[in-house]
Amino acid sequence: MTSASVSSRSARSTSKEVLVVERGAERRDETSAPGRTPTAEVRQALPLVSVRDLSVAYDATTVLDGVDLDLFPGEMVALLGASGSGKSTLMRSLTGFAPISAGSVRVAGHDVTNLARGELRTLRSDVGQVFQQFNLIPRLSVMTNVLTGALHGAGAINLVGGFSTAHRRRALELLDRVGIAHKATAPARSLSGGQQQRVAIARALMQQPKVILADEPVASLDPKLADSVLELLREIATEDGIPVLVSLHVLPLALAHSDRIIGLRHGRMLVAGATSQLDAAALAPLYDDEEHDDDAHH
Amino acid sequence: MTLTTDPRSTDGPAGRSTDGPAAGPGGKADRPSTRPTLDAGERSRLERAFRIPRARFLIGLPIAALLLIWSFNGAEFNFIKLGDGAVNMGEFLSRLFPPDFSKIGTILALLLETFQMAVVGTVLGAVLSLLAAFGASSNIAPKWVYYPTRWVMNIIRSVPDLVFALMFVSAVGLGPFAGILAMALGSIGSIGKIFAEAMEQVDRGPVVAMEAVGASKRQVIQYGILPQSAPLLTSYTLLLFEGNVRGATILGLVGAGGIGLELTTAMRMYDYGHLSAIIICIIVLVTAIDQGSALIRRRIT
Repeated sequence: MTSASVSSRSARSTSKEVLVVERGAERRDETSAPGRTPTAEVRQALPLVSVRDLSVAYDATTVLDGVDLDLFPGEMVALLGASGSGKSTLMRSLTGFAPISAGSVRVAGHDVTNLARGELRTLRSDVGQVFQQFNLIPRLSVMTNVLTGALHGAGAINLVGGFSTAHRRRALELLDRVGIAHKATAPARSLSGGQQQRVAIARALMQQPKVILADEPVASLDPKLADSVLELLREIATEDGIPVLVSLHVLPLALAHSDRIIGLRHGRMLVAGATSQLDAAALAPLYDDEEHDDDAHH
Repeated sequence: MTLTTDPRSTDGPAGRSTDGPAAGPGGKADRPSTRPTLDAGERSRLERAFRIPRARFLIGLPIAALLLIWSFNGAEFNFIKLGDGAVNMGEFLSRLFPPDFSKIGTILALLLETFQMAVVGTVLGAVLSLLAAFGASSNIAPKWVYYPTRWVMNIIRSVPDLVFALMFVSAVGLGPFAGILAMALGSIGSIGKIFAEAMEQVDRGPVVAMEAVGASKRQVIQYGILPQSAPLLTSYTLLLFEGNVRGATILGLVGAGGIGLELTTAMRMYDYGHLSAIIICIIVLVTAIDQGSALIRRRIT
């Protein structure tokens, strides 16, 4: 299993050579070193996600207002905030799903505010996404669901629904890694929630992503499964050097499973810091307004 | 209702207002813990609104009845005539017996042709309908494709298949080929729209996921939409096939192949034995196909 993930990583770093050259040779050394842990030296690498002064507005409603965000290789960053604080919008804006009204967003070498023709799909294939409702294709097999992660660049064989031998081998390795290989031929809908989310993570890894975004990945799972899914995501961040941005609404989960925490309130960044230096009290202001709102109703 | 012991309270407005002390202004005092926010006027208004739960239904009923009576007159529906005619009908039916299976060979050959027409017409029709459905699904097609496609489908649906059959008979001559073309074209109007609706109803999640992995439009449809709508699409295609087998017997009337021509000829020649043999064979075939496809549909959905 370890050899599989290492070989897949080396395959990735060669295939993304263009990007690395573009962003400077220094970063290649940082990211391709195996078993890297998120430490201060990682921070010296160039960020894979770099958001500056981002504003997003739907019609007249401003959802995000002047948000800055950097994601560095190997770190797991928790995104906190009350409902409607802009967590999902921030995630969506990273992959071109949200209307950016101001600021700059660079993700894995792509300038999201200024994408070239056809670049949107490449950007999305570079970013693995994990969803609250797993979003697997219910009737298709677990294996096929993982394979869909390789759709971008699946080649001519996919015109008849096929995938290359290399892709199929990789999909099985990933299923093995997330511990669902024995269910490879089962339809996705027959799996439990926790298993489905693991399949979804394998699908994201199938993309050979440079960044992983997980929008409330454990909100539909019970606490025990939530821990194991977040543990898996953190393992991916550390072992593969892929930054993981995960939005959560349960404080203890964020404190237990992240290197850094970013807190949004009303579309503005209110808290940003290393998880080790934060506690529940420091994060409480994120949810203050909600309580005021509640009081106003009574 | 079951709680009320006073029969008057179920009778009407007057009885209803005595629904119990809790409904009146004094009721608030009885239940201080629930902190009621409705004032008495609003409260009784809301209660009245639910007094006759099916008010809309009751108003609609006479309108529907009037429509029905009006249509009965227009369609010259007449029970007396029907009663008088029953004798003639019985005579007609009695002439159908005994069925004459002496030309069973011809019947089976034509029935086979009908069946084959239905198979080809259904496959062709389903493929065309699927293509048209992509254009008629709001979650796939842009608006400038969506509206014209729906429009064309509506036009096709409003034209009877017999008209298409006549059109194709004059284009490609008498025979089953014209019938197949008529069936295929007619399908776009009927199941094209149902296909489109099946594809519009899919869960959005997998579609979003496919867009998020950087899949092309074709791949989003292939993985995000089609697998989810496949059971419905198959089911509708089987229904189309059943309909086409029945429809193929009618298309023969205008010379578009199948057993229909033999059927009309037998009628015109007063060859009732032969006619009843044909009808019995059609019934057997249609029933067998209906049963078979029902079996398949049960297994896929």
